Amino acid sequence: MSAAVSSPPADPFAAYAAADDRHDECFAADGTVRPHWAEFLRLLGPDPAAALRSAHAACQRAVVEQDVSMNVYAGERSAVQAWPLDVVPFLIAPDDWAVLSAGLRQRARLLNEIFRDLYGPQRLLKKGTLPAALALANPHFLRPCAGLGRPKDVMLHTCAVDLARSPDGQWWVLRDRIDAPSGLGYSLQNRIITRQSLPQVFNRAPVERLYDFFRGFRTSVTELSPHRHGIDPRVVFLTPGPANEAYFEHAYLARYLGYPLVEGADLTTRDRQVFLRTVGGLKRVDTVIRRVDSSFCDPLELHGHSLLGVPGLVNAAHGQRVAVANQLGGGALETNGLLAFLAPLAREVLGEKLQLPSVATWWCGHEDARETVLGRLDSLVVKPTFRLPGPSTSRFGQLLDAAQREKLAAEIRARPFAYCGQERVHLGTTPSWTDGALRPVPFILRLFVTWQDGDYRVMPGGLTRFHPDGDDAIVTLQQGGITKDTWVLRSGGADPAPLPPTVPLADQVSRAADTPSRLADNLFWLGRYLERTSQLTRLLGKLDPLLRDEIAALDPAVAGAAIRLLLDIQGAPIPPGAKLEELDTLLDASIDNPALPGSLATNLNHLIRNLDQAKVRLPPEAWRCLRLLRQAADSPEPPAALELAPHLAALEAIVNETLAHDLAWRFLMLGRHLERGQQLVFLARHLLGGNVAAPAPAPAAGASRPPVPPPAPAVPAVPSEFRLQSLLHFADSLFSYRTTFHGMFQPAPVIAWLFSAPENPRSLRFLADQMDQHLAALPDDLAPRAVSALRATAFRLVSRVRLLDAAALVAAPGQSAAFFNESYATLAEISDRVTQVYFTHAETPGARTT
Amino acid sequence: MPAYHVIHTTRYRHTFSTTVAWQALHLEPRNEAAQRRESFELEIAPHPADLAARTDVFGNRQHFFSLREPHTELVITSRSLVQREEPVLPMPGLTPTLSAARRQVADLIAAGTEYSLEQYLHASPQVPLVPGARELAAGLDADDPTVLTWLTALGARFATQFTFDAKATTIATPLTDVLRLKRGVCQDFAHLFISCIRQHGLPAAYVSGYLLTTPPPGKPRLRGADASHAWVSVYVPGTGWIDYDPTNACYVAAGHIVAARGRDYSDVSPVKGLFTGGGHHTLTTGVTVEPAA
Repeated sequence: MSAAVSSPPADPFAAYAAADDRHDECFAADGTVRPHWAEFLRLLGPDPAAALRSAHAACQRAVVEQDVSMNVYAGERSAVQAWPLDVVPFLIAPDDWAVLSAGLRQRARLLNEIFRDLYGPQRLLKKGTLPAALALANPHFLRPCAGLGRPKDVMLHTCAVDLARSPDGQWWVLRDRIDAPSGLGYSLQNRIITRQSLPQVFNRAPVERLYDFFRGFRTSVTELSPHRHGIDPRVVFLTPGPANEAYFEHAYLARYLGYPLVEGADLTTRDRQVFLRTVGGLKRVDTVIRRVDSSFCDPLELHGHSLLGVPGLVNAAHGQRVAVANQLGGGALETNGLLAFLAPLAREVLGEKLQLPSVATWWCGHEDARETVLGRLDSLVVKPTFRLPGPSTSRFGQLLDAAQREKLAAEIRARPFAYCGQERVHLGTTPSWTDGALRPVPFILRLFVTWQDGDYRVMPGGLTRFHPDGDDAIVTLQQGGITKDTWVLRSGGADPAPLPPTVPLADQVSRAADTPSRLADNLFWLGRYLERTSQLTRLLGKLDPLLRDEIAALDPAVAGAAIRLLLDIQGAPIPPGAKLEELDTLLDASIDNPALPGSLATNLNHLIRNLDQAKVRLPPEAWRCLRLLRQAADSPEPPAALELAPHLAALEAIVNETLAHDLAWRFLMLGRHLERGQQLVFLARHLLGGNVAAPAPAPAAGASRPPVPPPAPAVPAVPSEFRLQSLLHFADSLFSYRTTFHGMFQPAPVIAWLFSAPENPRSLRFLADQMDQHLAALPDDLAPRAVSALRATAFRLVSRVRLLDAAALVAAPGQSAAFFNESYATLAEISDRVTQVYFTHAETPGARTT
Repeated sequence: MPAYHVIHTTRYRHTFSTTVAWQALHLEPRNEAAQRRESFELEIAPHPADLAARTDVFGNRQHFFSLREPHTELVITSRSLVQREEPVLPMPGLTPTLSAARRQVADLIAAGTEYSLEQYLHASPQVPLVPGARELAAGLDADDPTVLTWLTALGARFATQFTFDAKATTIATPLTDVLRLKRGVCQDFAHLFISCIRQHGLPAAYVSGYLLTTPPPGKPRLRGADASHAWVSVYVPGTGWIDYDPTNACYVAAGHIVAARGRDYSDVSPVKGLFTGGGHHTLTTGVTVEPAA
């Protein structure tokens, strides 16, 4: 029995030193805990510190397990970093929420009106309520977008607003993100992980749920569609791609909302309409939800060198045949200068007082404001009026010496319109779990507003950020910031809104044929590399050094053939006349050699890259496999076949059992079957004779083609029983053969079992039938003649293996080699035709001309 | 008003077939005080299915089309009939002085009546406000001359320092290189002038257009007549926009046909496009401007 003495629970606030000169979310000025925080602590149970400690551990595990990540730009190379999440949520009390949500609804209405005016009649510029320079000297004001705004148009669909709290408890808006606001997806993910980590609190606290907001989001996107007669418009979610810092959240949000995640290259325009390039041809897109900055959205009319955009998108938007959310051009409203004029703009545009103030801002383009800024350079922050690319260029007056201040003043005097002065907000603090204790950290709160049901609605949640060093000068995630889930608390513990009724399946339009061509291509090669890597792993397992010795003792010729096979399959050059021991050493050195086109290391890297690209389409279990495979690839130790095997097997199980058997999946399976078929032929040729080239690497992978294989090794005319047995073993068919043929190893039945037996799931016959079925299920309306040629090729293979006379094949010399070569060539032809019909039909933008 | 036929042909040739192309055109001559467009037609081969037109933010007519059939050659021909007369110039001595003009421009912007002048005072995509361009007018403002006196002097000085050379620069040559080389074409010279004028506090715009191919009897043939031409426009308070051709050191006349106006070339490039595949391509342009019979 344990003799542990129970000690009284530790004070969770032992390390909590709230500063006197800041507003603290948890402690009131008189030192008492505010009621909503007291309730939170109560729900944590008798020992809040212990509860938070274990919740923190659960939270960190979940971040790793669910593979939440962000891309951090670090000079030339960007790295993927685990998502920084603090398990202690940010709590918003009901009275604060009332102020914030009313203020933000008004703010979004105001911003939308300014957006419309800027790209429409420009009355505000004429009137001077908004100084003309803030629009017309603004590099983010996109002239080709002028005229996009029409009466009643929703230009601003979603915006993000960063807020801070000053020592007197007042909320201040620091900035608005209007062009391609980020953070919704991360907010959702934070909610899911925090809820899992603190279930005892979350389930009992009156926390507003998020699903109703997202349901409304989807509805409003449907309403934006210019073709309203359709019940379910085609919506795509446009991302800059995996290199973007927020790609994870784009993928996450797109999947949550149920929209295909696309890149610019997946879309095209014609007849002033936008189309998605799919394996079933071009499909008209009604609405584009956009996370690509406006300037990069159309290389024809906007940033000419952008490869992220869609040529003709601006013109299509002008034609009103596609809705873009947010409308193109909103970057112009992200100028710091706008903050200085929002209060008068609210009076002018809405006839209302601005409810939520912006942080005090002076635009130096006005003389009196300039004098104010120049007179207070020692305390203000000076920011560029217009967002510049790259890291923040804010300058904090109090950190500058006299000479630096004089230089800054000279810069301001030379180009006053380009500078704004801003009051520095002394950020309020909130509890965080840092270094094993609750500590106060200065925070910035990001809230999201979306147009829904004819007005704006604020998501009852958000993304709270803080810097672990307590430095409130810069709270960006790129520079080490940490995030929190954000809980909006209902007053009086009212019940959450009821769960929405589910939409009957019949009412949902199937978009199965909407598989983008690029995705299909990616999955096809994922299938090929998955098969290639796991096949190689299995072969290496079957031929580990100990077993090689055993085989060599039984039949040195078979051992030689097997090792040559493994060298050949990896593209390793085999010196002529090499002895068995030499081959053995070569093999051990080849596995880890990334310079070989087919080594285990090379294949693993290709597989990881393809998995990365396809991640969006795969369930979280597959992300875990990806993470483990990446760990193995990044480890200084050479990849060990036996260690990889379980991860690869898990991936195969996911592919077989978890993925929807939709069109995209069929491409994955086609890739696997083609690869497996080619590997089987390759094995047979090596052990029975023939002349077959090593599998070629993916053209997209950038690897060079493997060297021409060496001449086929000498193979005895009549293979020994042991040789046949080895072939079956390598082809994963020994066990099934034995149970069927009771240990008779003759060439004809072995060939039949491997190539024409429908009962053997590893036989070429089985693979050919499967491919035939997959191909039959693919769309043919895109290019009927090319599709029928493809199906005919596959059917040729099916007929050949069905009609295969194994006895005749082994009886006549040279026949089997010819059969292997023919089968290999047919498989390669199927692969080429699939590529031509379904992947490369899609054109991609080329060079700019003038 | 004299009338002119303008024919502008742009020909893309690709080494391989290109399947899809998108084009944005600024080819239709403007209607304005000294110019009236009588007719305009666009002939495109291969024929596009989706030709559309739009008026841009500067009041220019813009055309868009895309092609989706494989082609190795694309020919865009525009034919215009334009009535054009020599714009009336104010007496240079009656235009405001530089300092008065700067003040009046600021007032017009602040009052909202001419707020859009603001955009012609700042750097634009192809016109950085580089010190070298400002110094082109060094010393010319010593006695606060009137705007047109100053502009004439700037043009005369520029003509002695810079040489027209079609081979010295490309569309991508930065202004600092043009300043160093002291060579370039109409587009480079227009951009330099704009940068200089804006840095002296006056609104300056870019004009894309055409020149009469064969000059009237007894007059010299002007540079830039074989291709599309470009010049600048300066805003003079009390008068309005006044066009000046730095390449030929003259104020524009009846032989200058205006196609489009903007902040710089990037706003009004006559033919701009993207295409897929096609290998290498060559681009040839031909312009003819002749008096209508």
